[in-house]
Amino acid sequence: MIPATYRASFSYLLRHPWQLALSLIGIAVGVAVIVAVDLANASARKAFLMSMDAITGEATHQVIGGPRGVSESAYARLRVEQGVRMSAPVVEGTISVDGTSLTLLGVDLFAEQDIRSFTREAQPDASAGSGSSSLFTGFLVTPGVAMTSASTAEQLGLTVGDTFEVLADGRTHPAKLLATIPGESSGGLDFLLITDIATAQEWLDQAGWLSRIDVRIEDGDAAALEKLRSALPDGTQLLAAAGRTRSTAEMSKAFMTNLTAMSLLALLVGLFLIFNSVNFSVLQRRNLIGVLRALGLTRRQLLAMILVEAGILGAVASGLGLMLGIALGEQLLELVSRTINDLYFRVSVTSVSIESFSLLKGMVAGIGVALVAAAFPAIEATSYQPRLALTRSSLERRARHILPALTLIGFLTMVAAVLLILISGTSLVAGLAAVFLLILGFALCVPLFVSFASTLTAPLAERLGGTTARMAVAGITSGLSRTGVAIVALAVAVSATIGVSIMVDSFRGSVSTWLEQTLQADVYTGALRGSMDPELIEAIRNLEGVEDVSTRKRAWVEDANGRTQLRVFAMPPESYVGAELLDADPADAWPAWEARDAVFVSEPYAYQNSVGAGDTITLPTDHGPRDFAVAATFQSYDINASGIMMSRKTYARHYLDDTIDSLGLYLASAVEADAIVTQVEELSAGWQRLYVGSNANLQRESLRIFDRTFVITDVLYWLTLGVAFIGILSAMLALQLERAREFATLRALGMTPTQVGGMITAQTGIIGFLSGIASLPLGVVMAYVLIKVINRRAFGWQIDMTVAPDILAVSVAFAVGAALLAGLYPAYRAGQSQPAIAMREE
Amino acid sequence: MKHLHLLAGLVALLFAALTSADGGAPPSQLADLLGADADADFARALEPREFDFPTDHGPHPEFRNEWWYITGNLDDEEGRRFGFELTIFRFALAASLSESKSEWRTRQVYIAHLAITDVEEQRFFVAQRYSRGALGLAGAQAAPFRVWIDDWSIAGQPDSDAWRLRASDSEFGIDVELRALQPPILNGIDGLSQKSAAPGNASYYYSITRLGTQGTIRVGEREYTVSGLSWLDREWSTSALAADQVGWDWFALQLADGSDLMFYHLRKNDGTRDAASAGTFLSANGKTSHLDAEDVEITVLDTWESPQGGTYPSQWRLTVPRLEIDVTVTPVMSNQELFTTVRYWEGAVDVEGEHDGASTTGRGYVELAGYAQ
Repeated sequence: MIPATYRASFSYLLRHPWQLALSLIGIAVGVAVIVAVDLANASARKAFLMSMDAITGEATHQVIGGPRGVSESAYARLRVEQGVRMSAPVVEGTISVDGTSLTLLGVDLFAEQDIRSFTREAQPDASAGSGSSSLFTGFLVTPGVAMTSASTAEQLGLTVGDTFEVLADGRTHPAKLLATIPGESSGGLDFLLITDIATAQEWLDQAGWLSRIDVRIEDGDAAALEKLRSALPDGTQLLAAAGRTRSTAEMSKAFMTNLTAMSLLALLVGLFLIFNSVNFSVLQRRNLIGVLRALGLTRRQLLAMILVEAGILGAVASGLGLMLGIALGEQLLELVSRTINDLYFRVSVTSVSIESFSLLKGMVAGIGVALVAAAFPAIEATSYQPRLALTRSSLERRARHILPALTLIGFLTMVAAVLLILISGTSLVAGLAAVFLLILGFALCVPLFVSFASTLTAPLAERLGGTTARMAVAGITSGLSRTGVAIVALAVAVSATIGVSIMVDSFRGSVSTWLEQTLQADVYTGALRGSMDPELIEAIRNLEGVEDVSTRKRAWVEDANGRTQLRVFAMPPESYVGAELLDADPADAWPAWEARDAVFVSEPYAYQNSVGAGDTITLPTDHGPRDFAVAATFQSYDINASGIMMSRKTYARHYLDDTIDSLGLYLASAVEADAIVTQVEELSAGWQRLYVGSNANLQRESLRIFDRTFVITDVLYWLTLGVAFIGILSAMLALQLERAREFATLRALGMTPTQVGGMITAQTGIIGFLSGIASLPLGVVMAYVLIKVINRRAFGWQIDMTVAPDILAVSVAFAVGAALLAGLYPAYRAGQSQPAIAMREE
Repeated sequence: MKHLHLLAGLVALLFAALTSADGGAPPSQLADLLGADADADFARALEPREFDFPTDHGPHPEFRNEWWYITGNLDDEEGRRFGFELTIFRFALAASLSESKSEWRTRQVYIAHLAITDVEEQRFFVAQRYSRGALGLAGAQAAPFRVWIDDWSIAGQPDSDAWRLRASDSEFGIDVELRALQPPILNGIDGLSQKSAAPGNASYYYSITRLGTQGTIRVGEREYTVSGLSWLDREWSTSALAADQVGWDWFALQLADGSDLMFYHLRKNDGTRDAASAGTFLSANGKTSHLDAEDVEITVLDTWESPQGGTYPSQWRLTVPRLEIDVTVTPVMSNQELFTTVRYWEGAVDVEGEHDGASTTGRGYVELAGYAQ
């Protein structure tokens, strides 16, 4: 019995391949998006952890210092006076070869033994006959020799023995590839250039300083740890290596969480879609269901049949989705890693790593969504009396009947979302959950809206377009059980684009305003990496037309709580207006900032650490931890919730570092910025490579980077819209199928194919329009939540919300356009059908 | 010459271990490393020179190779017997270096071996260190005298003519004072130790054959107060290796009658003694005589199989007819094999036999290289 019913059920699906294909595609794309995002995130994270693993090696702890690092004499003292053995000095930095950024790792081969092993695997060029001895000698004695992983060498187009040029600290240095580390042992070594520590110091201009000292302390050897800690010089700290890696990885967590949320949105739209198609297939088979019930099939059996069907559909679609997701993941990975590189830390990923857990998640999500989506129509279908199941109108009556209850549930869900926001403090995940509740709640209210709207617009439609138009509109309401879901899917997708577009647009506006205010100097120049040559600074200062100069230095300090970025400024009082102080009177705050041990904290820092004007924070300095008064909070859109503004004088008192990495030039009023830009370019040529730009240039460049970081957001939303589009297409096709007899009757009554087609087109156009209109309030509310809740919680930013009318207009137009496009083929088919055949079929 | 093989092997194998997975250094690489081509810019030992102490205790960086080699036989108050070896090698990777802002840039590499023989427990401990000669991590200096790697050092003491030798590893360690009981003696011809007919293929070589030694030896958690005699060997050169030499046996014997004998027997691959083999005898009254390859006869009386493979001689009859020396040399324990980057045997020995017609005893150290791969 059961095989027969299942055969009946499947043969139905097979007889409607379009519908089957579209449902499969809908779920598959939804699954693909979450799998792709998950894989991209996981791969980026894994690549980062792998490279940290390779770089950290066996080190359990790291001795770190102030902004310049750890003095190398401290290392020599630890080894020679304290007998600390399992330790290795590291000089690390970023350099570029032929435009490709690489991490430079300067090591001391003699000390590497206890910490890292990859240098032992190095392969010199066999044909050159140079053995390990000359490899070793070359590595130590010859300036500029380097090793890379074999794959990185290949990517750079280098073979062992090649000479190349390295750009470090704005200067170029000759380099030579001495050996490569073969593939099997080079995991995590991609985009790493390994040199002797002397070469690294020469290139990075870091003579006398180490980036850190890696230390290996056997598990649980508290005595050794304590001994080492007490031997450390002032201004250095001993931190657990795993903790440092973790806190670095944590930096990008908010970003990755947001991406995951966006991918879930695609699946959510997919959920509406499969709900739609299962619903349809159930409705379509009401005759079959009625017959089966009449033949004695129990409710339970019927329910099982529908769910099994949905489960199989979900499984097949998820399988497709996984394959698609892996392919898509490759594409997303590039975007994700680029954004992480732009914003957080260096990560080098060349290929997506297939995480079985990500795939499992995608599979479960796909099948789960299919089952959940099928459950409602299945329960509904099985709850009918066998006799009633045969009638179509009873379904629509019933659908309309539950509208108020549905709407009430939707309303309550939205209230729950608001409550969740209010009580969840600063939790990002709770904020995102609230967004989903909001969408869900809103979605439940959409059908009632459509019902009202189409009832209201039907007379209007008649006046405008005659009977055909009226029939089109009325058809929406009378087929609400089917059209409603399609409208919801499209509305949700469009509202998501509205929400995100408004958010990005507002954000961009705020950043642009902020940049305009922050950038006070006429010309900016600085080292691409590292610090500027002091003599060059002097020469620039003395340029004719330069009236005043502000200096800036970005320095990272770190303690067990994580890393903090110090933005150290020396600037003329006129440029104070560049920093918007949010919680203090500038007249009091600035003198305090200049004169005492007072700092300004960035808004994200203030949010993350719950501090503000009047509080005190403790920062690691080169003389040990020191307290600093918070004089004010300043507005900032930096991604790292860690910015602290400090005056140069304060910095000089606490840190042994007089380097400067960029300058702001204030010009005499008659002087053209571009002229000075040219002069600085000429001056620095052959000395140190600098970036030089006018105020306007820098603003443009900053916004360009801003836009780049949102590319991935755009991609995800287009994918979501794609799913919604498939939903509409599938709904229209099903509707057309469903109403084939109706259309045939109309045709028999004398309507031309064009008229029938026109009616369907009008109907889809109206569905699109209603979706667009319905999406507006949700879009705006979503934008508000994204701006005020999600962004605040993720990054601590305060963004002024601006709703650009064109975003709304474009979104509605898009909804209409998508719906019309989706309706084209169904309209064409309806027009083509032979009335006689169609009528007989029913 | 005697430790040159060892140093060459050490350096090559260390480099291999630090940089390459192949683990071994084929002979061609050794030749490459110590080959004549690379030596052109190093100083060479061409003719006898004036030795100047204490300056010559310090480094001679213009030469490629140099070592400070101290071995000793010590007893604690209850007669518990220990042997120790601390060797610090210096090896220059290049004759010159381009200028650098970085203190790390160097051409000098230091390698050290520490071994302690605990005769009573029949235990033998070995540790190794290596470092670049930069930044004070490792180095050598004449005034005040100090040669060191990390926290291992041999250093002159303020207000004293004694040296302090300190080196320890997790399982064992030594901290002793060394006081020269004799002035340095010059080996070879006035300190110029010719290795072959080729000019410049020679080293400068001196020894202090008796250093009064006292201090402590630590084995595990226990410290023993010890005293006894040590021996210092100092040599520097830019010598090349002879391709047909496969190993060497080095004897440094302190006889109870106050005389000391040093001889190195260089073995050729055909099993014969290389003509460059040589030694020095120091009589109790302080008179030295040079010993050449023909002066000394050595017969192996017993052998020892290393558990890790390789057969070492482990007892000898050593005769010097010209000086009326006829002694049997016996290791205090068989297994004094060092598993560092190079495998070799270096251990404390007992001496028994006749000298000048009278029976005598003695102690010493023997080094055996080239018996195991």
